[in-house]
Amino acid sequence: MLAGRPRPSAQSARRTPPLPLLLLCVLGAPRAESGAHTAVISPQDPTLLIGSSLQATCSVHGDPPGATAEGLYWTLNGRRLPSEHSRMLNASTLALVLANLNGSRQQSGDNLVCHARDGSILAGSCLYVGLPPEKPFNISCWSKNMKDLTCRWTPGAHGETFLHTNYSLKYKLRWYGQDNTCEEYHTVGPHSCHIPKDLALFTPYEIWVEATNRLGSARSDVLTLDILDVVTTDPPPDVHVSRVGGLEDQLSVRWVSPPALKDFLFQAKYQIRYRVEDSVDWKVVDDVSNQTSCRLAGLKPGTVYFVQVRCNPFGIYGSKKAGIWSEWSHPTAASTPRSERPGPGGGACEPRGGEPSSGPVRRELKQFLGWLKKHAYCSNLSFRLYDQWRAWMQKSHKTRNQDEGILPSGRRGAARGPAR
Amino acid sequence: MSLREGSLDPQADSSVSFLPHLEAKIRQTHSLARLLTKYAEQLLQEYVQHQGAPFGSPGFSPPRLPVAGLSAPAPGHAGLPLAERLRLDAEALAELPPLLDAVRHRQAELSPRALRLLRRLEDATRQTRALGAALEAVLAALGAAAPGPRREPPAAPGPAGVFPAKLLGLRVCGLYREWTRRTEGDLGQLLPGGPA
Repeated sequence: MLAGRPRPSAQSARRTPPLPLLLLCVLGAPRAESGAHTAVISPQDPTLLIGSSLQATCSVHGDPPGATAEGLYWTLNGRRLPSEHSRMLNASTLALVLANLNGSRQQSGDNLVCHARDGSILAGSCLYVGLPPEKPFNISCWSKNMKDLTCRWTPGAHGETFLHTNYSLKYKLRWYGQDNTCEEYHTVGPHSCHIPKDLALFTPYEIWVEATNRLGSARSDVLTLDILDVVTTDPPPDVHVSRVGGLEDQLSVRWVSPPALKDFLFQAKYQIRYRVEDSVDWKVVDDVSNQTSCRLAGLKPGTVYFVQVRCNPFGIYGSKKAGIWSEWSHPTAASTPRSERPGPGGGACEPRGGEPSSGPVRRELKQFLGWLKKHAYCSNLSFRLYDQWRAWMQKSHKTRNQDEGILPSGRRGAARGPAR
Repeated sequence: MSLREGSLDPQADSSVSFLPHLEAKIRQTHSLARLLTKYAEQLLQEYVQHQGAPFGSPGFSPPRLPVAGLSAPAPGHAGLPLAERLRLDAEALAELPPLLDAVRHRQAELSPRALRLLRRLEDATRQTRALGAALEAVLAALGAAAPGPRREPPAAPGPAGVFPAKLLGLRVCGLYREWTRRTEGDLGQLLPGGPA
């Protein structure tokens, strides 16, 4: 077992408490209640690296004089230390050597206690054993509606230093200004900070994180960003989902632009996701661009769907960066009309009647209709007519089955929408 | 019944009923004391948890350190006249808030992430003031002499070491529990018919 002095870097980093306590009784002071022997442990409250060694002494003094270290013993965090770790330096001093120290068990320090023969506590010292902080990394920031800035980071070494480590987020304008320190911590997790106001636009900020504990400090790399490049916003409000007439495989989704940025969302993008009521699998439609409505097609008839929408304020004030998606809106539910034919199980965002198609079948249909108009003098053909025909087909199919009293098999009819 | 000092013993004249509002005030103060006794127990448990072993271990017998300006209820406390007991309770409750606050500051340095402990210490400081004020109001209404002005102990630096500071905090939390418990018991004897 190694025996040696603590490494040079292991030093007590304690500061005197800033506030005077209105009481005073230090263990070892002559006025201890019992009037029995007291002692002093040295060093008091050392800070040490994991794996290092500690040499400590417990020196007894007291009333009556002539106190002896005979029979004294040590405990660490309540556990008695084997006697082979101790030896009497002299009549009144018991020494201790601990090698290869483990990280501290609690933030307030490991309790090293010197006991008299009868088990009474003579003196104590708190050990702080840990690691210096490693460089924080992976800083990411976002601004809600250009009004604030929230940043998150990952502590180095997964944060486990065994010592209380203080993280401080700093920021400054890149080309001028002083360093500022973020003050609202833990807003979105343990390693986060929120800057609520007084942020400049159109000029880059430098942001970094400093980590400090009793054994040292570390600083992250500097992140440079413009607030406009990390904007997010609120989820779209007023999301409404409704049926499209009698169409059994479609639902119409409408929403409103997030009001806080509504005057800036020329290039905003939206995403829709939807799922069947009793499923956890969401389907995402992400080619919605800057519309505020969409039709979902290829859905299962007679099924309840939950739908959510989110917004990315892309291109705000000319920013070329990708933008940050908002949270999803609250789920809105609606059901497709019931049908006796099973649905295809998938869908995409479809245009309303008369608008260019976005699904493959409807795209092909559009091409066909266009060709027909040119070559077959069918000037009255349109998507609206196509949807009307589909609705008519479904209705007549239902009526036919009711008359014949049969359920259809799973075959598709000519009026079915695209399957995904 | 005489409301002069020293004649608060309800056994002495059980036929007298307190004014309704005074009785309500006493009941309310007693309820508060009972609540704080429970909170004091929880505070002590939370405190020892964050100091680490041997704090909180069975058989842990720390030295009972004296605390300037405040001592534990004397062994003969229960034998004193009720008025005197309540006055001692009020004096102790007046001494506790700055001690609890000092413990909170120290713990904020030692265990800054122990948010629940820090909140309990902050609440204890505030609630003890409230209980002390309520008890003084009861004593005043009963015509009993109020506790004398609080003695300001000489400002002194805190313990130099962390371990002594932990022990001292334990002592303060222990005294807090003892005095709230004592106050609850003494106020209970003031209630007509006993505690509610």
